[in-house]
Amino acid sequence: MKKKLDLPHLITVLIIIAVYAGVFVMEQTMAPTSMIFTVLKKGATYALVAVSMNLLNGFTGIFSLGQAGFMLIGAYVFSIFTIPVDQRPIVYQYYNGGLIQFTMPFFLAMILGGLVAALFAFLIGLPVLRLKSDYLAIATLGFAEIIRTFFQWDKLGPITNGSNMLRLFPTFNDFNIRNANGEVVVYLSTLVPMIISGICIAIILLLINSTYGRAMRAIKDDEIAAEAMGIHLASHKQMAFCVSSFFAGVGGAMLAMYQTTVQAKSFTTAMTYEILLIVVIGGLGSVTGSVLASFLFVAASEWWLRFLDQKQYIGGHELPLMRNGFRLVVFSFIIMIVVLFFRQGIMGTKELPDLFRRKKTTEGGSAK
Amino acid sequence: MKDTVLQIENLTMQFGGVVAVDNFSMEINKGEIVALIGPNGAGKTTAFNAVTGVYQPTAGRITLLDENITGLRPDEVTLRGIARTFQNIRLFSSMTVFENVLTAHHLRRTAGLFSATFRLNKAEEKRMREDTDALLKKVDLYDLRDEMAVSLPYGKQRLLEIVRALATRPKLLLLDEPAAGMNPQETDELGEFIRRIRSEFDLTVFIIEHHMNLVMKISDRIYVIEFGKQIAEGTPEEIQNNQAVIDAYLGGGDEL
Repeated sequence: MKKKLDLPHLITVLIIIAVYAGVFVMEQTMAPTSMIFTVLKKGATYALVAVSMNLLNGFTGIFSLGQAGFMLIGAYVFSIFTIPVDQRPIVYQYYNGGLIQFTMPFFLAMILGGLVAALFAFLIGLPVLRLKSDYLAIATLGFAEIIRTFFQWDKLGPITNGSNMLRLFPTFNDFNIRNANGEVVVYLSTLVPMIISGICIAIILLLINSTYGRAMRAIKDDEIAAEAMGIHLASHKQMAFCVSSFFAGVGGAMLAMYQTTVQAKSFTTAMTYEILLIVVIGGLGSVTGSVLASFLFVAASEWWLRFLDQKQYIGGHELPLMRNGFRLVVFSFIIMIVVLFFRQGIMGTKELPDLFRRKKTTEGGSAK
Repeated sequence: MKDTVLQIENLTMQFGGVVAVDNFSMEINKGEIVALIGPNGAGKTTAFNAVTGVYQPTAGRITLLDENITGLRPDEVTLRGIARTFQNIRLFSSMTVFENVLTAHHLRRTAGLFSATFRLNKAEEKRMREDTDALLKKVDLYDLRDEMAVSLPYGKQRLLEIVRALATRPKLLLLDEPAAGMNPQETDELGEFIRRIRSEFDLTVFIIEHHMNLVMKISDRIYVIEFGKQIAEGTPEEIQNNQAVIDAYLGGGDEL
């Protein structure tokens, strides 16, 4: 934590500024329907959730699979409190306009979503964090499933709208600045989500590099030694779990804004696995890796591999295999290759500034 | 100089039908280096683990400086002033030498999670880092500051583990076979090092060791256990000439 920025960190800061500036320019000049904005919006959302999962799985060594559950809580809290009062009769048409009849600013609702997710994490963490590795994974997975069903419960309908969709709340498009005629003057619908995500990730990075972050890494490396150094395992695991869930909740709120609708049944275990995959591909224990992998993952699944789902012709001959669903086959294949041959992920445990440092000859990466 | 630092009274550790430590009592006075020796499986490490809170004693009482610490968690025991090393080295493998020692300062933090994350504890963080550097300089590990801890040579890793334990500012230091795997020269240096830190850090040392040369050279008193029971206690000379000890080490006295 030296006051002066050293060169690798300076380069990193410049790169980040350049990326944000680039996105801003692109948004003003390119068609807003371009696929790249979809990728950037969803990528920014997934990046936050992936980094929050990495804080648990990569930095604290807690193998949790509850991420989709906490995202669901964040998404629901956000949308429930931001649907405009006059739209509620439309959204809650089967529940007489719903129970809650006020709205919050989107920013507050987002933070509230995170806080409620963190509260749930705290309560679940009390029994669950006593478990180790696989058992903990199963317990958190089970929790996410219970939450998903619970939010669809008919009796909760006046609040959650039961198994019906929540919609008409603020979305990313509302970040665009419009003139009196409703025409967009400045496009911000991609930049703002990226900034929100960036700030949250920066906070997680600050945590990781604080004395608590070191304690969490110590727990991951060796619980027995960490305990012998005076680190209270239960409370530090609980902290990591709550902070991770807070940001998963905020990520859930962002996902709601991205999707423009929220339905509990879409927060499946498969979503958690997607996030886990991003974390592993990026490198367990690398924030940079999680961020890069998120954008790559979203770009590959939403954009680059789309052509595989359509019929393709070469010189009048229809190519075999190219049909709806083939994209997912190829995608799974790529993932298998990554997991088999690049176990450390894209970044291993390195961060962006490390790439600009001169290689040290003595450093021996552990082959875990 | 007869203040008791650690007192173990009638400690019994039972795992199912196996009695690993049986009604064992001992005490360590301030500034002493006391060794616990015995054949493999005699219950030495089990006794250590009971003192440091890894195991809950089946029976007995453990007192550190007049405070009952029986049954406390390991982190609570460390906070009260007992630090330890491990028989098989347990350094933090993803961390550098510096970070390993820095992490051991975490237990004296006053900042909460929020203020630590948002850097409202700059002064404290700075002090932790300065203390770490000062400690590394004091024990001649400063040159290796930014190396990965697990990439150090074996002897240095053992040394670093002791230094990391020192960073918690213990009153009593427990060393579990610190010379295991060391060559004679390294063992000699380790003996010197233990004596040095005892005086420089105002420590009391409790050590489990198999290298008899080291034990005889540095210990003020020695306890010998076999099958969880104490069979002898005394100065190195007394122990060397104790018939029960010789029998335990050379094999059953009945056959003689």
